[in-house]
Amino acid sequence: MTEPPASAPTSALEPWPDAVEWRRVSPKLITVELIARITFSVVLLAALLIGWIVAEHWLWLAAMAAVVVLAVWRAIITVRAVKAWGYAERDQDLLVRHGLLIRRLSIVPYARMQYVDVTAGPLERSFGLATVQLHTAAAASDARVPGLPPAEAARLRDRLTALGEDRAEGL
Amino acid sequence: MTAADAAARQPQPVQDEPRRRLHPLSPLLHGAKSIAIIVAALSWQTLSQVGLERFALVVAVLAIGVVIFSVVGWLNTGYHLVGRELRIQDGLLWRRNRAIPLERLQAVELRRPLLAQLTGLAELRLEVVGGGKTEAPLAYLTVRDAAALRERLLALAGRTRAAGSVPTSDPAAAVPAAPAVERPLLRVRNQDLVISQLLTPQAFFLPLGVAFVVMQFVLEGSWTFVGIASTFTAMAGVLLQPIRRVLQDWDFRLAQDADGRLVVRYGLLETRSQVVPLNRVQSVGVTWPLLWRAKHWMHLRLDIAGFANPESRGGKRSDRLLPVGDLPTGRALVFQVLPGVDLLALRTFPPPDRARWLHPFALRYFGVGLTDDVFVTRWGLLTRELSLVPYARLQSVRVIQGPIQRLLRLATVYADTAGGRSGVAHDRDVADAWVLADQLSVRARLARGPAPLSTGRAAPPAAVPAPAPSPSDESAWQRPGPA
Repeated sequence: MTEPPASAPTSALEPWPDAVEWRRVSPKLITVELIARITFSVVLLAALLIGWIVAEHWLWLAAMAAVVVLAVWRAIITVRAVKAWGYAERDQDLLVRHGLLIRRLSIVPYARMQYVDVTAGPLERSFGLATVQLHTAAAASDARVPGLPPAEAARLRDRLTALGEDRAEGL
Repeated sequence: MTAADAAARQPQPVQDEPRRRLHPLSPLLHGAKSIAIIVAALSWQTLSQVGLERFALVVAVLAIGVVIFSVVGWLNTGYHLVGRELRIQDGLLWRRNRAIPLERLQAVELRRPLLAQLTGLAELRLEVVGGGKTEAPLAYLTVRDAAALRERLLALAGRTRAAGSVPTSDPAAAVPAAPAVERPLLRVRNQDLVISQLLTPQAFFLPLGVAFVVMQFVLEGSWTFVGIASTFTAMAGVLLQPIRRVLQDWDFRLAQDADGRLVVRYGLLETRSQVVPLNRVQSVGVTWPLLWRAKHWMHLRLDIAGFANPESRGGKRSDRLLPVGDLPTGRALVFQVLPGVDLLALRTFPPPDRARWLHPFALRYFGVGLTDDVFVTRWGLLTRELSLVPYARLQSVRVIQGPIQRLLRLATVYADTAGGRSGVAHDRDVADAWVLADQLSVRARLARGPAPLSTGRAAPPAAVPAPAPSPSDESAWQRPGPA
C-alpha cells in the first residue's frame, strides 16, 4: 500500500492509524484455537484410520495425508488470524477488525447497542478467556471480540453497558 | 414532541385491565384455515384412491378435532394492556405469557382474510424489534375493536401527538377512536397493476407451459378428472406469484393520517391495512425491473425493523410502498417518506475503473452517494435497484475486503440497518472506503442527535435535523483514489 497523504490509511487493516489505538486479543487464544483444531483433526484422522483398517486402500492414506497438511496449514493461519484480531474503543463507537483472507472491520456505535453477550466455553474457561459480543438491532452487525482475559472482558462489558445506557435510544 | 414525550415517559398509574378474549368466532375461522390445509395435504391422489364418501368422512373427523382444539385454545388466549405493555397469554400445552413493550412497536397491520371479511373480523399484527417473527398476531377481533386497539397501541407507543393525552388507565379510551382525518396520497390503478404483473418472467413463460400441457393431453389422449386437476394444481404453482401479487396489491391506496403516519391499504381476497410511523422507516428500496422499463415504471419497497424473516422472498411480507408507478409518482412518494430526498437529485459515483475486473458488464450501474440525509447505493444491470438508508437509522458500518479486492486495492462498505437489508457500496477504492465508513459513522452520529439523554428514549431522530456536513467532508470521499 502506498498512500501518499499522511491522513490516508496506510493499510487495509489499519485505518485512521493516528486516531485509533488498537488493542489485541490475548495470545492464549492461539493455544485455545490450536487445541480445538488439533482435536478436530485427530478425530478425523481416527475415523480415516478405522476406514483404512476395515478396507485397505491407498485413498485412505492419501486422505490422512491431506488432513495432516490441511491441519498444519490451518494452524499457521490460526496463529496469524488471532494476531489480526483487534478492537478499539473510540468516543462514540467500538471498532472490531478481524480476518486475514477476508478482512473485516465493524464500526458499532454504542448508542445502537441492544445487549452485550459474554460467553466462555469450557476450553476458553480453562485458559481464562472469554468472548464479548455486542449486538445491535441489525442482524448483520458483527462485533465479536474473542480471547479476552476475564478482567478485561468484564471491564469491556461494563464500559459498553454504561456507554450504551448513556446513549441508548429507540430505533 | 418533547413535551408529549416527557408526558409519556412519566410513570403511568398501572391499573389492571380485565383480560380480554378474542372474538368467539375465531376458533371457527382458525379451524377453516386448518381444514383447507388438510384437504390440500390429502391431495387429489387420496381422493381418487379412497372415493368421495370416505374422503369426506376423514375430512369431517379431522375438522371436528381441529375445531375442538381451536376452541380450547381460544379459551386460553387473552390479551390486556398494562401500562405501556401489551400482554398476551396463549398456548394450550405450553402456556406462553408475552409482554410486548410498546415503545418497541414499529408498525401495526390489520389483516382481513376472505373468511374474516365475510364475518366482519380482522387480525391485528404487531411488528416489534427483535422478534424473529411477527409478534402476537391477534386473530381475530371485530374490525372496530381491532381499529380501536391499533389506535391505542400506536398512541401508547409514544410517538404521536396523542401520546400525552390518552391516559392508559382509562378503559373508555379504547372505545371512541374516531376515524382520524386522513389525507390520501395516491392510489394505484388496478389496470397498471395487472399490466405490471403480465410483464414478469412468469407471465411470459405461461403460453409455453399451456402449450406443453395441451400437447401432453393430445398425445396421451387421457382426460381424467384427477389428471386435469393435478395439472392445474401444478400450473398454479408457476402462475402463483404474479396472480398472488395482483390479488395482494389490488386497490393499493396510500394515505397519511393526522399524526403524519403512513397508512397503506391493499388486497382483494385478503385486505391489509398497515400503519407505519414515518420515523420507523429503516430504508427505502427502488427497483426498476427489466420488463417494466418500456413503461418507465418502478417498484418501491419499505423496510421496517422487525419484519419477519428479511431473507424470505415470499409475498407474505407487507413491505410495499408502491407496487407499480411511474417516476413522478415514485419521486413524490419518496419525498414524502424521506423528507427532503429527491429521487432525481441523487448524485452517485461509480467505483474506480479497475473494479471492472469484478464487474465486467455492470460496473457503470454501481454507484454510491452521500446526500444530506440518506446513504444512496445503486446496482444492477438488468434489474436496476437503488437503496436509500437514512443516516439516522444506521445500526453499524462494516468494511470488508476479500483477497481479490485486496489485489485490486478495493473494499466493500456495508451500512447495516435493523430492517435486514444493508446499503452496500461495492468495490470502492480502499482509501475511499475508509473515508466513506468514517463519514457514515459521523453522519449517523449527527443524525441520531447530539446530546445523549440519560433518561432513556431520545427525541425521535427524524425530527432532529442533521447538521450539514462541511463541504470539505463532502468532497473528501469523492476524490479518486491514488492510482
